[in-house]
Amino acid sequence: MMLRLENITKTFHKGTPNEKHALHDMNFQADDGDFITVIGTNGAGKSTLLNIISGVFMPDAGAVILDGEDITKRKEHQRARHIGRLFQDPMKGTAPNMTIEENLGLAYARGTRRSLSPGIRKKDRVLFRETLAALDLGLEDRMQTKVKLLSGGQRQALTLMMATIKTPKLLLLDEHTAALDPVTAEKVMRITDERIREHKITTLMITHDVRQALQYGNKTVMLSKGRIVFTLGGEQRKNMGPDELVRYYTETAESISDTMLFSVKG
Amino acid sequence: MQILITAMELGLIFGVMSMGIFITFKILNLPDLTIDGSYTLGAAVAAVITVQGHPYLGVLAAFACGALAGIITGLLHTKLHIDPILSGILTMTGLYSINLRIMGQRPTISIFGKKDIYEVFAPWLPATVLKPAVHVLFLFIIGFLLYRFLKTQIGISMIATGDNEEMVRASSINADAMKILGLAIGNALVAGAGAFMVSYTGFADINGGTGMMVIGIASIIVGATLLGESSIFVCFIGVVVGAVLYRYVLALALSIGLAAGDLKLLSSLLVVIAVGLPSVRKRMKGAR
Repeated sequence: MMLRLENITKTFHKGTPNEKHALHDMNFQADDGDFITVIGTNGAGKSTLLNIISGVFMPDAGAVILDGEDITKRKEHQRARHIGRLFQDPMKGTAPNMTIEENLGLAYARGTRRSLSPGIRKKDRVLFRETLAALDLGLEDRMQTKVKLLSGGQRQALTLMMATIKTPKLLLLDEHTAALDPVTAEKVMRITDERIREHKITTLMITHDVRQALQYGNKTVMLSKGRIVFTLGGEQRKNMGPDELVRYYTETAESISDTMLFSVKG
Repeated sequence: MQILITAMELGLIFGVMSMGIFITFKILNLPDLTIDGSYTLGAAVAAVITVQGHPYLGVLAAFACGALAGIITGLLHTKLHIDPILSGILTMTGLYSINLRIMGQRPTISIFGKKDIYEVFAPWLPATVLKPAVHVLFLFIIGFLLYRFLKTQIGISMIATGDNEEMVRASSINADAMKILGLAIGNALVAGAGAFMVSYTGFADINGGTGMMVIGIASIIVGATLLGESSIFVCFIGVVVGAVLYRYVLALALSIGLAAGDLKLLSSLLVVIAVGLPSVRKRMKGAR
Protein backbone atom coordinates (compact mmCIF):
# COMPACT_ATOMS: atom_id res chain seq x y z
CA MET A 1 0.00 0.00 0.00
CA MET A 2 1.46 3.35 -1.04
CA LEU A 3 -0.69 5.84 0.84
CA ARG A 4 -2.90 5.52 3.88
CA LEU A 5 -4.83 8.22 5.68
CA GLU A 6 -6.03 7.27 9.15
CA ASN A 7 -8.85 9.17 10.82
CA ILE A 8 -7.87 12.52 9.34
CA THR A 9 -9.82 15.47 10.73
CA LYS A 10 -9.30 19.07 9.72
CA THR A 11 -11.28 22.10 10.84
CA PHE A 12 -10.61 25.63 9.64
CA HIS A 13 -11.24 28.74 11.77
CA LYS A 14 -11.83 26.56 14.79
CA GLY A 15 -13.84 28.21 17.57
CA THR A 16 -15.04 31.11 15.40
CA PRO A 17 -18.46 31.62 13.78
CA ASN A 18 -16.78 30.72 10.47
CA GLU A 19 -15.77 27.28 11.72
CA LYS A 20 -15.63 24.89 8.79
CA HIS A 21 -15.18 21.14 9.02
CA ALA A 22 -13.12 20.42 5.93
CA LEU A 23 -12.43 16.74 6.59
CA HIS A 24 -14.25 14.40 8.97
CA ASP A 25 -12.46 11.43 10.42
CA MET A 26 -11.40 10.38 6.96
CA ASN A 27 -9.90 7.00 6.15
CA PHE A 28 -8.45 6.51 2.74
CA GLN A 29 -5.92 4.35 0.99
CA ALA A 30 -4.21 4.02 -2.35
CA ASP A 31 -2.47 0.84 -3.44
CA ASP A 32 0.78 0.77 -5.41
CA GLY A 33 0.13 2.02 -8.92
CA ASP A 34 -3.41 3.18 -8.22
CA PHE A 35 -4.58 6.13 -10.30
CA ILE A 36 -7.51 7.48 -8.32
CA THR A 37 -9.70 10.29 -9.59
CA VAL A 38 -11.33 12.43 -6.91
CA ILE A 39 -14.61 14.22 -7.53
CA GLY A 40 -16.99 16.25 -5.41
CA THR A 41 -18.66 19.66 -5.27
CA ASN A 42 -16.90 22.86 -4.26
CA GLY A 43 -16.07 22.76 -0.57
CA ALA A 44 -16.28 18.97 -0.42
CA GLY A 45 -12.69 18.87 0.89
CA LYS A 46 -10.87 17.68 -2.23
CA SER A 47 -8.11 20.27 -2.16
CA THR A 48 -7.86 20.06 1.62
CA LEU A 49 -7.26 16.33 1.22
CA LEU A 50 -4.35 16.94 -1.17
CA ASN A 51 -2.97 19.73 1.00
CA ILE A 52 -3.01 17.46 4.05
CA ILE A 53 -1.14 14.78 2.12
CA SER A 54 1.47 17.21 0.79
CA GLY A 55 1.92 18.95 4.13
CA VAL A 56 0.58 22.42 3.26
CA PHE A 57 -1.85 21.94 6.16
CA MET A 58 -1.34 19.87 9.28
CA PRO A 59 -4.35 17.74 10.25
CA ASP A 60 -6.03 18.35 13.64
CA ALA A 61 -6.03 14.59 14.21
CA GLY A 62 -5.07 11.44 12.35
CA ALA A 63 -2.05 10.15 10.50
CA VAL A 64 -0.66 10.26 6.97
CA ILE A 65 1.32 7.14 6.03
CA LEU A 66 3.33 7.14 2.81
CA ASP A 67 4.91 3.87 1.74
CA GLY A 68 4.80 2.53 5.29
CA GLU A 69 6.30 5.67 6.82
CA ASP A 70 4.37 8.01 9.09
CA ILE A 71 4.91 11.46 7.55
CA THR A 72 2.25 13.32 9.56
CA LYS A 73 4.84 15.50 11.31
CA ARG A 74 7.03 16.09 8.25
CA LYS A 75 7.24 19.52 6.71
CA GLU A 76 6.05 20.30 3.20
CA HIS A 77 9.50 20.41 1.61
CA GLN A 78 10.51 17.16 3.31
CA ARG A 79 7.47 15.34 1.96
CA ALA A 80 8.12 16.81 -1.47
CA ARG A 81 11.08 14.43 -1.79
CA HIS A 82 8.58 11.70 -2.57
CA ILE A 83 5.49 13.61 -3.65
CA GLY A 84 5.10 15.39 -6.99
CA ARG A 85 2.40 18.03 -7.30
CA LEU A 86 0.58 19.95 -10.02
CA PHE A 87 -1.74 22.84 -9.26
CA GLN A 88 -4.66 24.26 -11.18
CA ASP A 89 -2.83 27.54 -11.78
CA PRO A 90 -0.11 26.88 -14.40
CA MET A 91 1.88 29.77 -12.88
CA LYS A 92 2.28 27.99 -9.56
CA GLY A 93 4.40 25.04 -10.60
CA THR A 94 7.36 26.76 -12.25
CA ALA A 95 9.76 29.63 -11.56
CA PRO A 96 8.79 32.23 -14.23
CA ASN A 97 12.06 34.18 -14.42
CA MET A 98 14.24 31.10 -14.72
CA THR A 99 14.93 29.14 -17.88
CA ILE A 100 13.32 25.81 -18.78
CA GLU A 101 16.66 24.15 -18.15
CA GLU A 102 17.06 25.72 -14.71
CA ASN A 103 13.54 24.70 -13.72
CA LEU A 104 14.25 21.12 -14.72
CA GLY A 105 17.59 21.27 -12.90
CA LEU A 106 15.77 22.28 -9.72
CA ALA A 107 13.27 19.48 -10.11
CA TYR A 108 15.93 16.91 -10.93
CA ALA A 109 17.68 17.57 -7.61
CA ARG A 110 14.47 16.67 -5.79
CA GLY A 111 15.11 14.50 -2.78
CA THR A 112 18.89 14.88 -2.91
CA ARG A 113 20.88 17.10 -0.63
CA ARG A 114 21.47 20.29 -2.57
CA SER A 115 25.15 21.10 -2.78
CA LEU A 116 27.65 23.45 -4.34
CA SER A 117 27.96 21.20 -7.38
CA PRO A 118 26.78 22.75 -10.65
CA GLY A 119 23.02 23.35 -10.84
CA ILE A 120 22.88 21.74 -14.26
CA ARG A 121 25.45 19.17 -15.39
CA LYS A 122 26.25 18.28 -19.00
CA LYS A 123 24.79 14.78 -18.82
CA ASP A 124 21.63 16.18 -17.22
CA ARG A 125 21.13 18.36 -20.28
CA VAL A 126 20.85 15.30 -22.49
CA LEU A 127 18.26 13.78 -20.18
CA PHE A 128 16.30 17.05 -20.02
CA ARG A 129 16.20 17.27 -23.81
CA GLU A 130 14.97 13.69 -24.13
CA THR A 131 12.36 14.22 -21.44
CA LEU A 132 11.00 17.33 -23.12
CA ALA A 133 11.15 15.81 -26.58
CA ALA A 134 8.65 13.20 -25.37
CA LEU A 135 6.14 16.02 -24.90
CA ASP A 136 6.26 16.83 -28.59
CA LEU A 137 5.80 20.55 -27.88
CA GLY A 138 9.15 21.69 -29.24
CA LEU A 139 10.30 22.74 -25.77
CA GLU A 140 13.53 20.74 -26.11
CA ASP A 141 14.85 23.41 -28.50
CA ARG A 142 14.01 26.25 -26.11
CA MET A 143 16.04 25.20 -23.07
CA GLN A 144 17.31 28.75 -22.46
CA THR A 145 13.86 30.34 -22.72
CA LYS A 146 12.45 31.89 -19.58
CA VAL A 147 9.40 29.97 -18.44
CA LYS A 148 7.23 33.09 -18.20
CA LEU A 149 7.29 33.24 -22.00
CA LEU A 150 5.56 29.85 -22.32
CA SER A 151 1.82 29.37 -22.69
CA GLY A 152 -0.26 27.96 -19.85
CA GLY A 153 -0.40 24.53 -21.47
CA GLN A 154 3.35 24.46 -22.09
CA ARG A 155 4.00 25.50 -18.51
CA GLN A 156 1.70 22.81 -17.18
CA ALA A 157 3.34 20.18 -19.37
CA LEU A 158 6.74 21.34 -18.11
CA THR A 159 5.50 21.18 -14.52
CA LEU A 160 4.37 17.61 -15.14
CA MET A 161 7.85 16.68 -16.35
CA MET A 162 9.38 18.45 -13.35
CA ALA A 163 7.09 16.58 -10.96
CA THR A 164 7.95 13.21 -12.51
CA ILE A 165 11.53 13.53 -13.79
CA LYS A 166 12.54 11.79 -10.55
CA THR A 167 9.73 9.24 -10.30
CA PRO A 168 7.81 10.20 -7.15
CA LYS A 169 6.10 7.74 -4.84
CA LEU A 170 2.95 9.75 -5.16
CA LEU A 171 1.67 12.27 -7.70
CA LEU A 172 -1.01 14.78 -6.70
CA LEU A 173 -2.93 16.55 -9.46
CA ASP A 174 -5.28 19.34 -8.35
CA GLU A 175 -7.45 20.07 -11.40
CA HIS A 176 -4.26 20.62 -13.35
CA THR A 177 -6.02 20.96 -16.71
CA ALA A 178 -8.97 23.08 -15.55
CA ALA A 179 -7.38 26.43 -16.43
CA LEU A 180 -6.42 25.37 -19.97
CA ASP A 181 -8.43 25.61 -23.18
CA PRO A 182 -10.20 22.34 -24.11
CA VAL A 183 -7.75 21.25 -26.80
CA THR A 184 -4.68 21.96 -24.67
CA ALA A 185 -6.35 20.41 -21.63
CA GLU A 186 -6.94 17.21 -23.58
CA LYS A 187 -3.34 17.11 -24.73
CA VAL A 188 -1.89 17.75 -21.26
CA MET A 189 -4.22 15.11 -19.81
CA ARG A 190 -3.13 12.56 -22.40
CA ILE A 191 0.54 13.25 -21.69
CA THR A 192 -0.17 12.97 -17.96
CA ASP A 193 -1.84 9.61 -18.40
CA GLU A 194 1.02 8.28 -20.53
CA ARG A 195 3.58 9.46 -18.00
CA ILE A 196 1.71 7.88 -15.09
CA ARG A 197 1.31 4.54 -16.89
CA GLU A 198 4.89 4.47 -18.12
CA HIS A 199 6.34 4.97 -14.64
CA LYS A 200 3.51 3.26 -12.72
CA ILE A 201 3.12 6.29 -10.45
CA THR A 202 0.53 6.13 -7.71
CA THR A 203 -1.66 9.15 -8.43
CA LEU A 204 -4.53 11.14 -6.98
CA MET A 205 -6.25 13.48 -9.42
CA ILE A 206 -8.93 15.99 -8.49
CA THR A 207 -11.24 16.87 -11.35
CA HIS A 208 -14.54 18.62 -11.90
CA ASP A 209 -15.03 16.80 -15.17
CA VAL A 210 -17.08 13.67 -14.51
CA ARG A 211 -16.24 12.25 -17.92
CA GLN A 212 -12.53 12.70 -17.22
CA ALA A 213 -12.97 11.11 -13.79
CA LEU A 214 -14.21 7.90 -15.38
CA GLN A 215 -12.01 7.94 -18.46
CA TYR A 216 -8.70 8.06 -16.61
CA GLY A 217 -7.39 5.99 -13.72
CA ASN A 218 -8.63 2.79 -12.13
CA LYS A 219 -10.69 4.10 -9.20
CA THR A 220 -12.95 7.04 -8.52
CA VAL A 221 -13.55 8.50 -5.08
CA MET A 222 -16.42 10.86 -4.39
CA LEU A 223 -16.19 13.40 -1.58
CA SER A 224 -19.01 15.36 -0.01
CA LYS A 225 -18.85 17.64 3.01
CA GLY A 226 -15.50 16.32 4.13
CA ARG A 227 -16.39 12.64 3.88
CA ILE A 228 -15.85 9.94 1.29
CA VAL A 229 -19.33 9.07 0.04
CA PHE A 230 -18.33 6.24 -2.21
CA THR A 231 -15.43 4.58 -3.99
CA LEU A 232 -15.91 3.19 -7.47
CA GLY A 233 -13.70 0.55 -9.00
CA GLY A 234 -13.64 -2.57 -11.10
CA GLU A 235 -16.69 -3.60 -13.11
CA GLN A 236 -19.06 -1.14 -11.46
CA ARG A 237 -16.85 1.75 -12.58
CA LYS A 238 -16.33 0.36 -16.07
CA ASN A 239 -20.04 0.09 -16.64
CA MET A 240 -20.88 3.53 -15.34
CA GLY A 241 -21.43 6.47 -17.70
CA PRO A 242 -20.95 10.14 -16.77
CA ASP A 243 -24.69 10.82 -16.49
CA GLU A 244 -25.19 7.82 -14.31
CA LEU A 245 -22.33 8.88 -12.07
CA VAL A 246 -23.85 12.33 -11.59
CA ARG A 247 -27.18 10.76 -10.73
CA TYR A 248 -25.54 8.29 -8.40
CA TYR A 249 -23.71 11.12 -6.72
CA THR A 250 -26.77 13.31 -6.29
CA GLU A 251 -28.69 10.46 -4.71
CA THR A 252 -25.89 9.36 -2.40
CA ALA A 253 -24.91 12.90 -1.41
CA GLU A 254 -28.53 13.83 -0.70
CA SER A 255 -29.23 10.79 1.41
CA ILE A 256 -26.08 11.54 3.38
CA SER A 257 -26.91 15.18 3.96
CA ASP A 258 -30.39 14.07 5.05
CA THR A 259 -29.05 11.67 7.63
CA MET A 260 -26.65 14.34 8.80
CA LEU A 261 -29.50 16.79 9.15
CA PHE A 262 -31.48 14.28 11.17
CA SER A 263 -28.56 13.37 13.31
CA VAL A 264 -27.95 17.05 14.09
CA LYS A 265 -31.61 17.64 14.94
CA GLY A 266 -32.12 14.35 16.73
CA MET B 1 39.38 65.24 -12.02
CA GLN B 2 40.15 64.16 -8.45
CA ILE B 3 36.42 64.23 -7.75
CA LEU B 4 35.79 61.77 -10.57
CA ILE B 5 38.52 59.41 -9.37
CA THR B 6 37.20 59.53 -5.83
CA ALA B 7 33.69 58.84 -7.12
CA MET B 8 34.93 55.79 -8.99
CA GLU B 9 36.88 54.46 -6.01
CA LEU B 10 33.83 54.85 -3.78
CA GLY B 11 31.55 53.39 -6.42
CA LEU B 12 33.65 50.23 -6.60
CA ILE B 13 33.33 49.70 -2.84
CA PHE B 14 29.61 50.38 -3.01
CA GLY B 15 29.52 47.89 -5.87
CA VAL B 16 30.40 45.15 -3.36
CA MET B 17 27.63 46.39 -1.08
CA SER B 18 25.12 46.66 -3.91
CA MET B 19 25.82 43.06 -4.93
CA GLY B 20 24.87 42.05 -1.41
CA ILE B 21 21.69 44.10 -1.57
CA PHE B 22 21.03 42.61 -4.99
CA ILE B 23 20.96 39.14 -3.38
CA THR B 24 18.34 40.05 -0.78
CA PHE B 25 16.35 42.71 -2.62
CA LYS B 26 16.30 41.32 -6.15
CA ILE B 27 17.04 37.60 -5.94
CA LEU B 28 15.15 36.79 -2.74
CA ASN B 29 12.67 39.61 -3.21
CA LEU B 30 13.08 40.56 0.47
CA PRO B 31 13.20 44.22 1.52
CA ASP B 32 15.99 43.75 4.05
CA LEU B 33 16.65 46.80 6.22
CA THR B 34 19.33 45.07 8.28
CA ILE B 35 21.74 46.61 5.79
CA ASP B 36 22.11 50.04 7.42
CA GLY B 37 23.14 48.27 10.63
CA SER B 38 25.34 45.57 9.10
CA TYR B 39 27.33 48.14 7.11
CA THR B 40 28.28 49.94 10.32
CA LEU B 41 28.85 46.57 12.01
CA GLY B 42 31.39 45.67 9.34
CA ALA B 43 33.09 49.04 9.68
CA ALA B 44 33.20 48.85 13.49
CA VAL B 45 34.61 45.32 13.60
CA ALA B 46 37.17 46.07 10.89
CA ALA B 47 38.26 49.31 12.55
CA VAL B 48 38.80 47.73 15.95
CA ILE B 49 40.84 44.85 14.49
CA THR B 50 42.73 47.09 12.07
CA VAL B 51 43.81 49.29 14.98
CA GLN B 52 45.30 46.12 16.49
CA GLY B 53 47.37 45.77 13.31
CA HIS B 54 45.39 43.14 11.35
CA PRO B 55 43.53 44.84 8.48
CA TYR B 56 42.70 41.62 6.60
CA LEU B 57 41.59 39.77 9.69
CA GLY B 58 39.34 42.79 10.22
CA VAL B 59 37.80 42.40 6.77
CA LEU B 60 37.20 38.67 7.29
CA ALA B 61 35.68 39.27 10.73
CA ALA B 62 33.43 41.93 9.18
CA PHE B 63 32.15 39.42 6.59
CA ALA B 64 31.45 36.88 9.35
CA CYS B 65 29.67 39.38 11.61
CA GLY B 66 27.59 40.67 8.70
CA ALA B 67 26.53 37.10 7.90
CA LEU B 68 25.54 36.62 11.53
CA ALA B 69 23.40 39.77 11.44
CA GLY B 70 21.70 38.47 8.29
CA ILE B 71 21.06 35.11 9.95
CA ILE B 72 19.38 36.84 12.89
CA THR B 73 17.06 38.76 10.57
CA GLY B 74 16.40 35.53 8.68
CA LEU B 75 15.51 33.65 11.85
CA LEU B 76 13.20 36.44 13.01
CA HIS B 77 11.44 36.34 9.66
CA THR B 78 11.23 32.59 9.00
CA LYS B 79 10.99 31.08 12.48
CA LEU B 80 9.07 33.77 14.36
CA HIS B 81 7.11 34.82 11.26
CA ILE B 82 7.86 38.52 11.75
CA ASP B 83 7.31 40.66 8.67
CA PRO B 84 10.60 40.90 6.70
CA ILE B 85 10.76 44.71 6.88
CA LEU B 86 10.19 44.71 10.63
CA SER B 87 12.69 41.85 11.12
CA GLY B 88 15.35 43.95 9.41
CA ILE B 89 14.48 47.08 11.38
CA LEU B 90 14.64 45.15 14.65
CA THR B 91 18.09 43.75 13.86
CA MET B 92 19.30 47.11 12.58
CA THR B 93 18.11 48.93 15.70
CA GLY B 94 19.65 46.34 17.99
CA LEU B 95 22.90 46.53 16.04
CA TYR B 96 23.27 50.23 16.87
CA SER B 97 23.89 49.36 20.51
CA ILE B 98 26.15 46.45 19.59
CA ASN B 99 28.15 48.56 17.14
CA LEU B 100 28.61 51.22 19.79
CA ARG B 101 29.88 48.58 22.24
CA ILE B 102 32.28 47.19 19.62
CA MET B 103 33.60 50.72 19.12
CA GLY B 104 34.01 51.09 22.89
CA GLN B 105 31.14 53.62 23.18
CA ARG B 106 32.97 56.05 20.85
CA PRO B 107 31.14 57.49 17.84
CA THR B 108 34.19 57.18 15.58
CA ILE B 109 37.39 55.15 15.45
CA SER B 110 40.35 56.34 13.44
CA ILE B 111 42.86 53.89 11.99
CA PHE B 112 45.29 56.71 11.19
CA GLY B 113 48.88 55.48 11.07
CA LYS B 114 47.90 51.79 11.18
CA LYS B 115 48.35 49.18 8.45
CA ASP B 116 45.41 49.20 6.05
CA ILE B 117 44.34 46.77 3.32
CA TYR B 118 46.31 48.67 0.68
CA GLU B 119 49.66 48.29 2.34
CA VAL B 120 50.46 44.74 1.12
CA PHE B 121 49.90 45.84 -2.48
CA ALA B 122 51.81 49.14 -2.16
CA PRO B 123 55.23 47.77 -3.23
CA TRP B 124 53.82 46.47 -6.56
CA LEU B 125 51.55 49.28 -7.64
CA PRO B 126 52.12 52.99 -8.30
CA ALA B 127 50.43 55.13 -5.67
CA THR B 128 48.03 56.72 -8.15
CA VAL B 129 46.33 53.46 -9.14
CA LEU B 130 46.81 51.62 -5.85
CA LYS B 131 43.37 52.15 -4.38
CA PRO B 132 41.23 51.69 -7.47
CA ALA B 133 43.25 48.61 -8.47
CA VAL B 134 42.74 47.00 -5.07
CA HIS B 135 39.04 47.83 -5.20
CA VAL B 136 38.69 46.31 -8.66
CA LEU B 137 40.57 43.21 -7.52
CA PHE B 138 38.30 42.61 -4.55
CA LEU B 139 35.19 43.42 -6.51
CA PHE B 140 36.25 40.95 -9.18
CA ILE B 141 37.01 38.14 -6.71
CA ILE B 142 33.75 38.64 -4.82
CA GLY B 143 31.69 39.02 -7.98
CA PHE B 144 33.26 35.88 -9.49
CA LEU B 145 32.61 33.76 -6.38
CA LEU B 146 29.06 35.02 -6.09
CA TYR B 147 28.38 34.38 -9.76
CA ARG B 148 29.70 30.83 -9.51
CA PHE B 149 27.66 30.26 -6.37
CA LEU B 150 24.45 31.30 -8.12
CA LYS B 151 25.08 28.61 -10.75
CA THR B 152 25.27 25.81 -8.17
CA GLN B 153 22.34 23.69 -7.00
CA ILE B 154 22.00 25.79 -3.87
CA GLY B 155 22.35 28.94 -5.94
CA ILE B 156 19.54 28.16 -8.36
CA SER B 157 17.42 26.96 -5.44
CA MET B 158 17.90 30.39 -3.87
CA ILE B 159 16.98 32.21 -7.09
CA ALA B 160 13.88 30.04 -7.39
CA THR B 161 12.90 30.82 -3.79
CA GLY B 162 12.63 34.49 -4.71
CA ASP B 163 10.83 33.66 -7.93
CA ASN B 164 8.17 31.17 -6.81
CA GLU B 165 8.28 30.03 -3.21
CA GLU B 166 5.37 27.64 -3.58
CA MET B 167 7.07 25.79 -6.40
CA VAL B 168 10.27 25.65 -4.38
CA ARG B 169 8.58 23.97 -1.43
CA ALA B 170 6.91 21.52 -3.81
CA SER B 171 10.37 20.68 -5.20
CA SER B 172 11.70 19.57 -1.80
CA ILE B 173 13.73 22.74 -1.25
CA ASN B 174 13.83 24.25 2.23
CA ALA B 175 12.71 27.79 1.36
CA ASP B 176 13.35 29.08 4.88
CA ALA B 177 16.95 27.86 4.80
CA MET B 178 17.42 29.55 1.40
CA LYS B 179 16.15 32.87 2.75
CA ILE B 180 18.40 32.70 5.82
CA LEU B 181 21.40 31.82 3.65
CA GLY B 182 20.62 34.66 1.23
CA LEU B 183 20.28 37.18 4.03
CA ALA B 184 23.59 35.94 5.47
CA ILE B 185 25.42 36.34 2.16
CA GLY B 186 23.82 39.71 1.43
CA ASN B 187 24.68 41.18 4.80
CA ALA B 188 28.18 39.66 4.74
CA LEU B 189 28.89 41.59 1.54
CA VAL B 190 27.40 44.78 2.97
CA ALA B 191 29.52 44.45 6.11
CA GLY B 192 32.53 43.68 3.91
CA ALA B 193 31.96 46.94 2.04
CA GLY B 194 31.81 48.72 5.41
CA ALA B 195 35.18 47.16 6.26
CA PHE B 196 36.79 48.22 2.95
CA MET B 197 35.49 51.73 3.54
CA VAL B 198 37.37 51.90 6.86
CA SER B 199 40.67 51.40 5.06
CA TYR B 200 39.64 53.82 2.32
CA THR B 201 38.48 56.70 4.52
CA GLY B 202 40.65 55.90 7.54
CA PHE B 203 37.86 55.76 10.11
CA ALA B 204 34.64 54.07 11.18
CA ASP B 205 31.54 56.12 12.04
CA ILE B 206 28.64 54.87 14.14
CA ASN B 207 26.21 56.57 11.72
CA GLY B 208 28.08 55.47 8.60
CA GLY B 209 25.42 52.98 7.58
CA THR B 210 22.49 55.37 7.41
CA GLY B 211 20.85 55.29 4.00
CA MET B 212 22.95 52.43 2.60
CA MET B 213 19.81 50.52 1.61
CA VAL B 214 18.74 53.43 -0.59
CA ILE B 215 22.19 53.72 -2.16
CA GLY B 216 22.16 50.00 -2.96
CA ILE B 217 18.71 50.11 -4.50
CA ALA B 218 19.63 53.21 -6.48
CA SER B 219 22.68 51.39 -7.90
CA ILE B 220 20.63 48.34 -8.81
CA ILE B 221 17.97 50.42 -10.53
CA VAL B 222 20.45 52.58 -12.44
CA GLY B 223 22.24 49.43 -13.62
CA ALA B 224 19.04 47.67 -14.62
CA THR B 225 17.80 50.73 -16.51
CA LEU B 226 21.04 51.07 -18.47
CA LEU B 227 21.94 47.45 -19.16
CA GLY B 228 18.72 45.49 -18.63
CA GLU B 229 18.33 42.31 -16.62
CA SER B 230 18.73 39.60 -19.22
CA SER B 231 21.00 37.42 -17.05
CA ILE B 232 22.65 37.36 -13.64
CA PHE B 233 25.95 38.28 -15.28
CA VAL B 234 24.47 41.38 -16.90
CA CYS B 235 22.77 42.26 -13.60
CA PHE B 236 26.11 42.10 -11.77
CA ILE B 237 27.83 44.34 -14.30
CA GLY B 238 24.82 46.66 -14.09
CA VAL B 239 24.97 46.81 -10.30
CA VAL B 240 28.63 47.87 -10.36
CA VAL B 241 28.16 50.34 -13.20
CA GLY B 242 25.13 51.69 -11.35
CA ALA B 243 27.08 52.08 -8.12
CA VAL B 244 29.87 54.01 -9.86
CA LEU B 245 27.50 56.20 -11.91
CA TYR B 246 25.47 56.94 -8.83
CA ARG B 247 28.62 58.24 -7.15
CA TYR B 248 29.27 60.46 -10.18
CA VAL B 249 25.82 61.96 -9.82
CA LEU B 250 26.50 62.72 -6.17
CA ALA B 251 29.94 64.16 -7.05
CA LEU B 252 28.27 66.35 -9.65
CA ALA B 253 25.75 67.52 -7.07
CA LEU B 254 28.55 68.46 -4.70
CA SER B 255 30.43 70.31 -7.42
CA ILE B 256 27.42 72.51 -8.18
CA GLY B 257 27.33 73.60 -4.56
CA LEU B 258 25.08 71.21 -2.64
CA ALA B 259 26.22 70.48 0.91
CA ALA B 260 27.38 66.94 1.79
CA GLY B 261 24.43 66.71 4.16
CA ASP B 262 22.02 67.20 1.24
CA LEU B 263 23.12 64.02 -0.49
CA LYS B 264 20.81 61.67 1.41
CA LEU B 265 17.79 63.67 0.30
CA LEU B 266 19.12 63.63 -3.24
CA SER B 267 19.57 59.84 -3.02
CA SER B 268 15.99 59.38 -1.90
CA LEU B 269 14.70 61.63 -4.68
CA LEU B 270 16.72 59.72 -7.28
CA VAL B 271 15.18 56.41 -6.16
CA VAL B 272 11.70 57.95 -6.06
CA ILE B 273 12.14 59.18 -9.63
CA ALA B 274 13.60 55.89 -10.88
CA VAL B 275 10.97 53.72 -9.22
CA GLY B 276 8.05 56.08 -9.70
CA LEU B 277 8.66 57.22 -13.25
CA PRO B 278 7.23 54.15 -15.02
CA SER B 279 3.88 54.46 -13.22
CA VAL B 280 3.71 58.22 -13.88
CA ARG B 281 4.44 57.54 -17.54
CA LYS B 282 1.71 54.93 -17.65
CA ARG B 283 -0.80 57.35 -16.18
CA MET B 284 0.18 60.06 -18.68
CA LYS B 285 -0.39 57.61 -21.52
CA GLY B 286 -3.71 56.54 -20.04
CA ALA B 287 -4.86 60.16 -19.77
CA ARG B 288 -4.32 60.79 -23.45
